Amino acid sequence: MTTPMLSVSGLRAAYGPVQVLFDVDFDVEPGSVTTLIGANGAGKTTIMKSIAGLVAPAAGEISFEGRDITQAASHDRVDAGLCLIPEGRLVFPGMTVEQNLRLGAIAPAARAGHSEMLAEVFRRFPRLEERRGQQAGLMSGGEQQMLALGRGLMARPRLILMDEPTLGLAPVMVKQVFETIEELRATGFTILLAEQNAKVALELADRAYLLENGRVALSGSGAELLDSPDVRRAYLGM
Amino acid sequence: MILGLALAVFGVAVPFIGSPYMMGVVFQVAMWIALAQSWSMLSATTGYLSLGHAVFYGIGAYVCVLLTGTLPFELALLAAAGSAGLFAALVGMPVLRVRGPYFVILTYGLSELVRHVVMRIESALGSFGRMIFDVPSTEVLLWWMVGLAVLATLGAYAIRHSRFGAGLAAIREDEVAAETVGVPVTRLKLLAFIASAIIPGAVGGLALLRTSYFEPAQAFDPVISFTIVTMALVGGTETVRGPILGAVGFALLSELLWSSLPQLYMIVLGLTLIGFILFVPKGLSGLLGRIGRAA
Repeated sequence: MTTPMLSVSGLRAAYGPVQVLFDVDFDVEPGSVTTLIGANGAGKTTIMKSIAGLVAPAAGEISFEGRDITQAASHDRVDAGLCLIPEGRLVFPGMTVEQNLRLGAIAPAARAGHSEMLAEVFRRFPRLEERRGQQAGLMSGGEQQMLALGRGLMARPRLILMDEPTLGLAPVMVKQVFETIEELRATGFTILLAEQNAKVALELADRAYLLENGRVALSGSGAELLDSPDVRRAYLGM
Repeated sequence: MILGLALAVFGVAVPFIGSPYMMGVVFQVAMWIALAQSWSMLSATTGYLSLGHAVFYGIGAYVCVLLTGTLPFELALLAAAGSAGLFAALVGMPVLRVRGPYFVILTYGLSELVRHVVMRIESALGSFGRMIFDVPSTEVLLWWMVGLAVLATLGAYAIRHSRFGAGLAAIREDEVAAETVGVPVTRLKLLAFIASAIIPGAVGGLALLRTSYFEPAQAFDPVISFTIVTMALVGGTETVRGPILGAVGFALLSELLWSSLPQLYMIVLGLTLIGFILFVPKGLSGLLGRIGRAA
């Protein structure tokens, strides 16, 4: 048993008086794709934000590569090697594609060699190179998702947190996003993916967790969850 | 850059060639450039619009009046700048937690709060305005003010063209996104707030030495804050030359109006601001850029 890259234990979070996470435990193994599935409001985004340091947990512990990061500032977490591609993409709308990408390398650890990284992102997403001078806010949703991912890669993360990357995208773009995730895994990245698109996410996942009302209701390999009658009925419409 | 350099040379040379009136105008223009440029270090970069920069000017003036006579004026000015920066450091953390219109109102309220506190302190001490004597000559004060205008312009330029400035721009575009890419959002905002407070402190001190009279209601006058914002917006917030154009244009316009149409002064200024916001959102700087491209 290897040490997990990311380990979340007993995580609780609340927005004011409303508790949204109840003792959530899960691990992410290095080199894997781990998926969180569940309905809207199940707590997926709150988990992602807690790991990235955008939401302060009420209790619990988050450790990354053996280091407790529960209290670390979000910029220190980026510097340590984990990066969130946020829900809704959140590109810098008034800036060009290239400015967006360069800002992705603002963390101290990413500064050295950020030109090579930019070249690598352009190799991975040629579309971004074609559009490097384009204002980011004027691009299509799929292109913005590519840009958000490219911007995240600029920080040279080892763990990529992707929150609803296919939200609002056309089916052809959804397919492309999942292909990209597979490519990233093949080149050594570790990925934690929160997805509503349960079927495709489970087919891809090495490990999966089903969230219901802020709790882990079920966990197993992607294939196991795909075969689970509960998952099939509630999330896959079968 | 060329524009700034020309102004600086002109400012330094003016005591040799100009009349006292001319020196007064240049002093004012340099003062507003220094203030608007400092304001832009926070507000143009991050989009956190401060409507309370008079507080830094007032603190500078107050510290300077308390220290003049005890310390050489150069040190009093340094203390004025330092105190304004320190005040920004102390209040920055809570103030910068709010955004948008709330930040605007909060900075305005904070400035008014300090104004009233100083007024109470002064009246409790039985002081109704303080006179100071033995101030440096007008030429020396003018050179200092031109120096501050140059310093503020160089500072604003350096910030915009640095990694620090890139982080601030990210905060303006989307603060949550800035945080996800690893911008130390809280720290950068605080640093920008402090940077934008320091020079206004020294400017307040210099303006005090020039009038040689301190009165809290005047030193913390909210009209100072309004004028800074107006100049920066009229000049344009997207470039470093914007605040210079705004300050020069505005100061010249007000000189012209005061001498020809004093009764219409505020009305015309108000109309100018409305006109710029509606029709020239990128300010004089944007307008010049457009003319430059068309030619």
